[in-house]
Amino acid sequence: MRRACKPPVMGREAAPTSLAVQQDLPLVGAAVGAATGREAQQRPQGRQEISTRGKSRPMAAPTVAPVEKLWFCVWLPHLPLESVGAAIGRDTGSQPMAAPTAVVEEQHGIHRILLADAEARAAGVMPGQAANAALALLPALELEERSLLREQQALEGLATWLERFSSFVSIADHNVLLLEIAGSLCLFDGLQALRQEISRGLRELGFTAMPAIAPTPLAATWLARSGRRACIRDETNLVPALRKLSIACLNWPAALCEALTGMGVTTVGDCLRLPREGFTRRFGAEYLLALDRALGHLPDPRNSWRSPERFCADYEMTEEQVDREVLLNICNELLQSHEQFLLARQTGTQRLCFSFFHLKGPATELRLGCAQAERSASRWFELLGIRFEQLVLPEPVIAVRLRSGMAQALQAESGTLSFHGKPGAQQQRFSITQLAERLIARIGDQSVQATSMVAEHRPHYAWRSQSLLSDWSSNTLDEPAQYLQRPLWMLPEPALLPADSGCPIHQGCRLRFIDGPERLETGWWDEDGISRDYYTAAGQDGRRLWVFRNRNRTSSWYLHGYFG
Amino acid sequence: MSSSLDKLLANPRVWRGSDQAGQKAGLATGYLELDRHLPGGGWPPASLTEILTAHYGIGELRLLMPALARLSTASPQHDFTEPGWIAWVAPPFQPYPPALQQCGIDLSRMLIVRPKNASEILWSAEQALSSGTCAAVLLWPETLDDQASRRLQLAAEKGRSWAIAFRPLAARQQNSAAALRLELHPEGTSHSSGQGTRVHILKSRGGRPTVLSSLI
Repeated sequence: MRRACKPPVMGREAAPTSLAVQQDLPLVGAAVGAATGREAQQRPQGRQEISTRGKSRPMAAPTVAPVEKLWFCVWLPHLPLESVGAAIGRDTGSQPMAAPTAVVEEQHGIHRILLADAEARAAGVMPGQAANAALALLPALELEERSLLREQQALEGLATWLERFSSFVSIADHNVLLLEIAGSLCLFDGLQALRQEISRGLRELGFTAMPAIAPTPLAATWLARSGRRACIRDETNLVPALRKLSIACLNWPAALCEALTGMGVTTVGDCLRLPREGFTRRFGAEYLLALDRALGHLPDPRNSWRSPERFCADYEMTEEQVDREVLLNICNELLQSHEQFLLARQTGTQRLCFSFFHLKGPATELRLGCAQAERSASRWFELLGIRFEQLVLPEPVIAVRLRSGMAQALQAESGTLSFHGKPGAQQQRFSITQLAERLIARIGDQSVQATSMVAEHRPHYAWRSQSLLSDWSSNTLDEPAQYLQRPLWMLPEPALLPADSGCPIHQGCRLRFIDGPERLETGWWDEDGISRDYYTAAGQDGRRLWVFRNRNRTSSWYLHGYFG
Repeated sequence: MSSSLDKLLANPRVWRGSDQAGQKAGLATGYLELDRHLPGGGWPPASLTEILTAHYGIGELRLLMPALARLSTASPQHDFTEPGWIAWVAPPFQPYPPALQQCGIDLSRMLIVRPKNASEILWSAEQALSSGTCAAVLLWPETLDDQASRRLQLAAEKGRSWAIAFRPLAARQQNSAAALRLELHPEGTSHSSGQGTRVHILKSRGGRPTVLSSLI
């Protein structure tokens, strides 16, 4: 998303490198060749005469003004600790961590402190300490194993949250997020307001963030790591700001930093003064590339983070839980975040699936369906309540997962204004879909059905039942055939009737034919052809029956329905 | 002089028989003789009706069809956002759509619910009744005690819906909160024309018990 080829909008100082790039863009080696001579010459004179190089600008011919980009970098130095804090805070009902906490990481078989919270640090717990030493200092210290997965999830959660400020959010590193904010400035009432809003939001979410703003993503990242809260809008100010940065902020390998420091190169400015060719030969082309990208001389395309289209969230508990009230509350919390997720996308979903995980044995699943796309947590919770009553949990639950189905556009319902002024008449009324959802939630999808007609002469194909959850249209045939005698009650399967010398017997009595026969034949097209003679018959107990005899096979009698 | 009497009559605990009779217009049954014997001139609206039969299929559906057909095709009232749904809760057989359509029922407004046990039948019926979307709820409960019938009666009043419970003849001995209880008997097969059905009004709130022969 960076501009593909940036014309050298260089400051006076940035000229040498940008010139080189200009001549031969993708080939850093060649560019280095072009630049080296000059760099080598100019080194003793330093900064001042680099600025004179700006005069070589006529070579560049920017015909179209490039779209300015502005990158907001969020560096999360305490992510390993804070991702734990977020999880723990949620478990105990979103109250802050009670006990001092530290995150440990295994290094060469020894657990060492990676990060410790303020309380632990006050007690003398330092990063790098062995876990045992830390525990000796502070017995109440809670140690958490570092989990990269947890950090990644926290980071993705933040990226999703940041999407409200910009359409372009990128996860740059395991603890770095980048936003392109040039397009958002107008919307959020200027840079200052936007920066404050993001910072405040992050603080409320419980994350310590180091923000920095710069015209290139890499520069923003480096500035953020320096912890200076820099804000550089103008590209001309970029080079002076970067020059002062220590190379420790670049997150380059330790061996490289050591080598550079050994040479007396401690800042980015020092690096820029080195000959390009030599720099490449000694340390590899990628670092020169990084410098060029940070200065905006090379394009630096980034991947845009796309939050998942389907909601999936886990709630892990520290210990197994059997209390159904607690589990319901957890489900409600998941539904709330689900609603937020859908709200941000202006969508709803028709299906949800809760999984209750047990330590032993497979997870118990609970599926919910809705007749219309729905996002309201209270509606879903109501359906969940009906089903949860009946749910059998074979074992205590250790984690709950909520997955949502396909996202769909919401169909907004319009309400009606009551002008008839009867307050009593305006009581809460459900729509039929709400009723169907409630019924389905309790007694199952297959048990609640709508019916419709099918244009078909065979009695058992002349109708079908449909689920109310799918989109169904009842194609009622326009003109019912009034002359045909059809029973109101149909048996699910024809029942064989005993016969006495060709006359069917029902409940011990011979049937008396009232009407018939009506011959219904064929269905060769689906290999379920029939050839039957249907009669209306009267039984002893006063019922009128619909019976038939198969013509082509055995001449047994079957009962197919009652006239009701 | 009459102020103390008025005060007494205004007490909600005083029930007056004349309040009930003819107070609400009934739902015309489609059978003139039956209409004449029912208070309000038809099926009692927003209440529970019980129909007792020895078997299913002796005409209990035919008795209801004219009224149900009118309910399912009625045009929406202003305070009735979605009228005319007819819920069938736990029918013993499949209600056959072609025949229902012949009777004039709008099939797009039919909901068939097949709960798995007795308590779910009552629960589903209560939900359907109190939802206010179903004009009529037909149910075939396995059991229906006094308390359950009272609940259904209340749900029907709340949702202004008509509940029809089909029960065996043995239920005649039980108490019920239903506004109307009918017993259906097939008339002897000796009739050459097939058979009629005798309708016995066991209980009718605001009316009086009677026997109507050869109604359908």
